[in-house]
Amino acid sequence: MKEKTQVADIDRSLYDFRYEENEGDFLDSGITPEIIKAISDEKNDPDWMREFRLKSLEIYSRTKMVNWGPSIEGLDVDNIVTYIRQKNRMNTDWNNVPDDIKETFEKLGIPQAERESLAGVGAQYDSELVYHNVRREVAESGVIYTDLESAIHDPKYAEIIKSHFMKLVPPTDHKFAALHGAVWSGGSFVYVPKNVHLDIPLQSYFRLNAKGAGQFEHTLIILEEGAYLHFIEGCSAPKYYEAGLHAGCVELYVGKGATLRYSTIENWSKNMYNLNTKRALVQENGRIEWVSGSFGSHVSYLYPMSILNGRGARAEFTGITFAGEGQNLDTGAKIIHNAPETSSYMNTKSISKSGGISTFRSAVVVKENAVGSKSAVNCESLMLDRISRSDTVPVMDIRTKHCDVGHEAKIGRISDEAVFYLTSRGLSEEEAKAMIVRGFADNVSKELPLEYAVEMNNLIGLEMKGSIG
Amino acid sequence: MIIMGKQKLNILPVPTYNWLGVNYAERDISEYETAAEVISAAENEEKTCLFWVDDNAASEVSIQASENSYVKLVQVFDVKGQAVSKVSAELADNGRFELVQLYLGGDVVSEIDVKLDGRKSKFDASIGYKLGDSDKLDLNLIADHKGRKTESVIAVKGVLDGDAVKTFKGTIDFKNGAVGAKGAEQEEVLLLSEQAVNKTVPLILCAEEDVEGSHGASIGRVDEKHIFYMQSRGIPEEKITELMAQSKIAQVVNKIDNEQTVKRILGRLGRGDDNE
Amino acid sequence: MPYNTFIKAAAGSERKIKMSELLKIENLTVSTEDKELLHGVSLSVGKVETHVVMGHNGAGKSTLGCTIMGSPEYTVTGGKIYFDGEDITSLSADKRAKAGIFLSFQNPIEIPGITLSEFLRNALEQVTGKRMKLWDFKKKLAAAMELLEMDKSYADRDLNVGFSGGEKKKAEILQLLILAPKLAILDETDSGLDVDAVKTVSKGIEEYRKATDGTILIITHNSKLLEGLKLDKTHVLADGRIVREGDGTLAFDILENGFEKYITEGNI
Repeated sequence: MKEKTQVADIDRSLYDFRYEENEGDFLDSGITPEIIKAISDEKNDPDWMREFRLKSLEIYSRTKMVNWGPSIEGLDVDNIVTYIRQKNRMNTDWNNVPDDIKETFEKLGIPQAERESLAGVGAQYDSELVYHNVRREVAESGVIYTDLESAIHDPKYAEIIKSHFMKLVPPTDHKFAALHGAVWSGGSFVYVPKNVHLDIPLQSYFRLNAKGAGQFEHTLIILEEGAYLHFIEGCSAPKYYEAGLHAGCVELYVGKGATLRYSTIENWSKNMYNLNTKRALVQENGRIEWVSGSFGSHVSYLYPMSILNGRGARAEFTGITFAGEGQNLDTGAKIIHNAPETSSYMNTKSISKSGGISTFRSAVVVKENAVGSKSAVNCESLMLDRISRSDTVPVMDIRTKHCDVGHEAKIGRISDEAVFYLTSRGLSEEEAKAMIVRGFADNVSKELPLEYAVEMNNLIGLEMKGSIG
Repeated sequence: MIIMGKQKLNILPVPTYNWLGVNYAERDISEYETAAEVISAAENEEKTCLFWVDDNAASEVSIQASENSYVKLVQVFDVKGQAVSKVSAELADNGRFELVQLYLGGDVVSEIDVKLDGRKSKFDASIGYKLGDSDKLDLNLIADHKGRKTESVIAVKGVLDGDAVKTFKGTIDFKNGAVGAKGAEQEEVLLLSEQAVNKTVPLILCAEEDVEGSHGASIGRVDEKHIFYMQSRGIPEEKITELMAQSKIAQVVNKIDNEQTVKRILGRLGRGDDNE
Repeated sequence: MPYNTFIKAAAGSERKIKMSELLKIENLTVSTEDKELLHGVSLSVGKVETHVVMGHNGAGKSTLGCTIMGSPEYTVTGGKIYFDGEDITSLSADKRAKAGIFLSFQNPIEIPGITLSEFLRNALEQVTGKRMKLWDFKKKLAAAMELLEMDKSYADRDLNVGFSGGEKKKAEILQLLILAPKLAILDETDSGLDVDAVKTVSKGIEEYRKATDGTILIITHNSKLLEGLKLDKTHVLADGRIVREGDGTLAFDILENGFEKYITEGNI
């Protein structure tokens, strides 16, 4: 693959901000270079990766935590260290899996075999038959879909991976990007050749050999000119990891005129700290469509960022965040208009219930060269009771006069008239509210393939009942 | 009240990504001339005050609106150098506070902190700015809703030219207990030059279920549809931009009842008598 | 403008535009981003004539009106528009207004911050090249408003802001009277008006015609406005094409009996 590193095009000043994220605390984690070397040995890393991991560790130890957003005091770093020391082996026993997680599996109708996998017990669930069919179709189209760890060792892909890996989200980006760079494990590599359109969505659920835990997984997707792909990450069933931290990273490179749809339903278990970083770099006339449903985790920091780097590039972000009891979900999106005639559209909804805290945090930056750009952001928040919280913190930074930027945000409650109307047609108040909330979330559900939309609606139903683990 | 050295002013109630540079503004006000005013309206009283703010001022105005009272504060910031301003208000039951501010230039850091403590208290803000070369404005407005059925309406309109830099932070904060409260904020920014920098940070913070909050912002050029309509009546594009820029300020100036002040403002804006 | 004008069209072909033709549309195709809306429309309107374009909702009537005015929403993908002998196909809307075209919009937009009076005074200055003295202008405006039975207070209200549908339409006709263009295109001007308002608007249109010998193109799908007007020609538009043309009686036939006859006939 003749790939020249596209990242050379990015205005480096975009990344300078990382040096200012220095007003928070350090976290002494006890992760030593020896531990990193051991990981590297076990994975049989090429030299460059080994060095990369060590450099990342060094960056991690000198980077402070950010001074805004939910507190991560409860993050048990020792536990993570232990986990990492054990070289990502999953030692969980089904008996140790919390009851409420088991109950949720039951309520969502997940088959037993899948349950064990989702709970981190035993081997990765592998839906043999369906999976093999998917594999065949994918291979026939010329699309490469494989696990990242093996791909690094494959001479066919080693170079392209090396030139792209953590160039979009460098370890210097923030503390947990650095941690990720040091201990990352597992994840997918997808390469779609020029003008190839893959009609079926690729689901991260079905993967080759899932080595290592999902919590530090790295997803690298490269779309060449004119390609099309729909990638679905996650599922509505809760994912449970004893270590309690998900510091994943997703890097998406969208070539000229290519379109990538990246859908996620995240439902991490309620003990998890979800500190995820997702970023897309979009070239001329390329397009990135994010569809995101955030349901689980105790604390989330999640702001997929789109860098529109070529004329006419476009980013769309459709998201829903549901913060229930004990949850503090800080989510949103960032869009950088770095070329002329770029456009962006954000449509987000958030729901707060039972003391949950939901914060929508965004940045829309239109740089001097983004002449003729347009951006529209629409965010709506629904408060379901008086004990929850919903904050909206958007920022627009505009540096050219030739643009149209619009922003609208609303917050309110479920209308009594709507509830009355539905109950007058026989629904219980609970059912009526659930229906209204599902309707509220339809910005996302209508963008998902049917099975996922159905799962998401079931999830909402369970969240409304307050019976999720 | 005056601390030596640089201070952090205009602190954003909920900080965000540091790289955006909007969490606070820094200023050393030790050289400034301070002026502190207290405007107190007794029960059922109505008061209107007008201030013309000059260079090197550190102006602090505290408003106390007792039950059923009405206070209107008009401030025109005619600054070429630097200035700092703070307006704080406490509104009792049914207290109403109307604020009109016009920024005509300079390097200004301005904070407005309104506590809608009393039931059914109301806050109405009309703020306009016309900034050109070397002008800077950092504006931090907070409408703090504590009382039931409180209402805030915030309209900010402005024009940026030259290499002006403007940051508007507008927070509507619904505290728990502000049942039935409503807050609406709207900003319209017309950008006239290549170098102007605009930062808009409209926050809504909410800890109460029964509220209605909204904010909107529209930034950039004149709406295409507006352009077409005006062109269809023969007005060329450059003139349209000029008219729309004037109209943004006009909407705020219209709220100033004082004829003399209006004349003075129009004079400053270079729009003399129209009756030729 | 000189009456004896022959225009040479581009690319070496010669066309004669009749001196009495004020508006000539030749094979116009118009599209938006998604699709083509007008497929080769041709029509011409003579000076001092009154024409009507009729068709169902969605036939392309408003598209035609807006395209003649130069709306950026629509792109001319083929054909030409001539006004008073000049090819205006690529002119911007303000230049078309200065040339003498006026469009009374179906849904006039609200523009806060500028009063009706201020706006009109500026527009008049642009179109005539002279700035009228404030006092004189106010008199002129008041007279027109009285004719249209509009309350004086509208002059100082922000342009169309908070106006009811009917008031917006009246405000459009007010602008027509003040700006006195050569061609007035009226897009569904009577929709949303009650009986009295229609009468008043008709009065306004009549006044315009008398005062300026104006040419009128009425776009409508069902118009009470047509009664009492001397119609010179009717054009029936269906699915982006002119399917039938006739004199004034055609319009009244359609008002009485509907479109079906003409649409099916024309769509061969």
